[in-house]
Amino acid sequence: MPLRSYLHEIHVELGAKFTIFAGHEMPLQYTSIRDEHLNVRRNVGLFDVSHMGNVIIEGKDAARLLSLATLEDANRIEKNKGQYTAILREDGTIIDDTIFLHLPDEKYALVPNAGRSEVVTNWLNDVAEKNNLDAKAEDVSREYVILAIQGPKSRDLLRKIIDIDIENMPLFGCDYAKVNGVDCIVSRTGYTGELGFELQITPPENAKKTFYDILDTGKEFNIKPIGLGARDTLRLEKCFLLAGNEFEGGRTPLEAGLSWLIKWDHDFIGKNALLRQKQDGKYERLTCLECIDKGIPRHSYMVEKNGKIVGKVSSGNISPCLNKGIALAYIKPEYREVGSILDIVIRDKKIRAKVVKPPFVSKDWARENP
Amino acid sequence: MSENIPEDLKYTDTHEWVKMKNEKTVVVGITDHAQKELTDIVFVELPPVGKEFKKGEEMCIVESIKSVSEIYAPVSGKIVAVNKELEDSPEKINSSPYSEGWLVEIELSNKDEINSLLDAESYKKLLSK
Repeated sequence: MPLRSYLHEIHVELGAKFTIFAGHEMPLQYTSIRDEHLNVRRNVGLFDVSHMGNVIIEGKDAARLLSLATLEDANRIEKNKGQYTAILREDGTIIDDTIFLHLPDEKYALVPNAGRSEVVTNWLNDVAEKNNLDAKAEDVSREYVILAIQGPKSRDLLRKIIDIDIENMPLFGCDYAKVNGVDCIVSRTGYTGELGFELQITPPENAKKTFYDILDTGKEFNIKPIGLGARDTLRLEKCFLLAGNEFEGGRTPLEAGLSWLIKWDHDFIGKNALLRQKQDGKYERLTCLECIDKGIPRHSYMVEKNGKIVGKVSSGNISPCLNKGIALAYIKPEYREVGSILDIVIRDKKIRAKVVKPPFVSKDWARENP
Repeated sequence: MSENIPEDLKYTDTHEWVKMKNEKTVVVGITDHAQKELTDIVFVELPPVGKEFKKGEEMCIVESIKSVSEIYAPVSGKIVAVNKELEDSPEKINSSPYSEGWLVEIELSNKDEINSLLDAESYKKLLSK
């Protein structure tokens, strides 16, 4: 049996269609993926993302543990700030990408991907034990609901019901707060590339009231509940990674386009493997492909140049904003120059696609397409 | 959710509809139920005119944002027309599944096959299961 969100009955009532994602039965869509997608770009949307995990790290060596186990030098991240990073195996491949928040009371809150909390928690505790660190990770995923409020109007909405000042909260900022009296961890984070906030709510039953409060307050901002279908197309347009797709088969941060996250001047698990790979240079890299011909690229379609295989699509779909096929694909280094034309093999046809710079959809899209 | 199931059409259990155009030609599309299940249809791959299919063979591809679906030939015969409009406006299948969203016309190779299709009443029963 897949796990269900504490808000499942609300989603049923709102007319959601459901999908199973990483062992969780979650809303796929309420009305239409396209409408939901565009509403997040232009207005605001509310997501139940309870399939994501929650791990709390405590102990005086918590920052040292995070520094050793991630690409980030956690000592650099002050209280009330967070960071997007990745946890690696010794061979440099990614166990999970995650955000950690440095909470005002010294604790760290990690948000691993769906179904990855246990693996991440066990890994962190093993690293702590082997290095004699005073730090403990605890998987509390089933004690939390996570809600995401995303879109250009998200701050105007949340401001009306939250008891802290969010005007000046920076990207990846975090704090404890109350939303219409309900305790939560609030962070300026998300997976849509829009202005947005996420609320981690415990005990999970409290999130029912908050979900309705946000929908009610959001009426004047044209809020819609948003399913995982639009969540996927929103993140794809911004070239954000989906763990199950982009890390399939074991990928390093260099391959996955996350080199900007690597803080080379600190020691971390997997660093030596990354240094070797960097020196070698001959690795496939995640590449953005925008289709020239009509067609929808999808996960695992092959990419060719002059009839020779040069890569494979890890994520693909239509871009609801651009109305074109777009894809993230792992491509051999010599074929991924911006402007190059490659062929994506779709069933028995080939369609042309151009290598472009990320993201597919710029932050100005909604302003230019009201 | 109420489904639109016109009385004058024939249906398959894979959610295609079939309309007699004349003695030997039928028009084929997907039902209102099918388009609602798919939602957000964004791409249609149509067969070449002249191609022949046996009943039940994969004939078209309809892609929604979330999925790729095969559409099966409801009857055996030759493709004599395809709805080219769908190449630029696949969303017409969502907005008008029984008229502007038609997929292909098939010239029947065996007229008797029409009798094996479901009538509106039987299709309605199938959906209520």
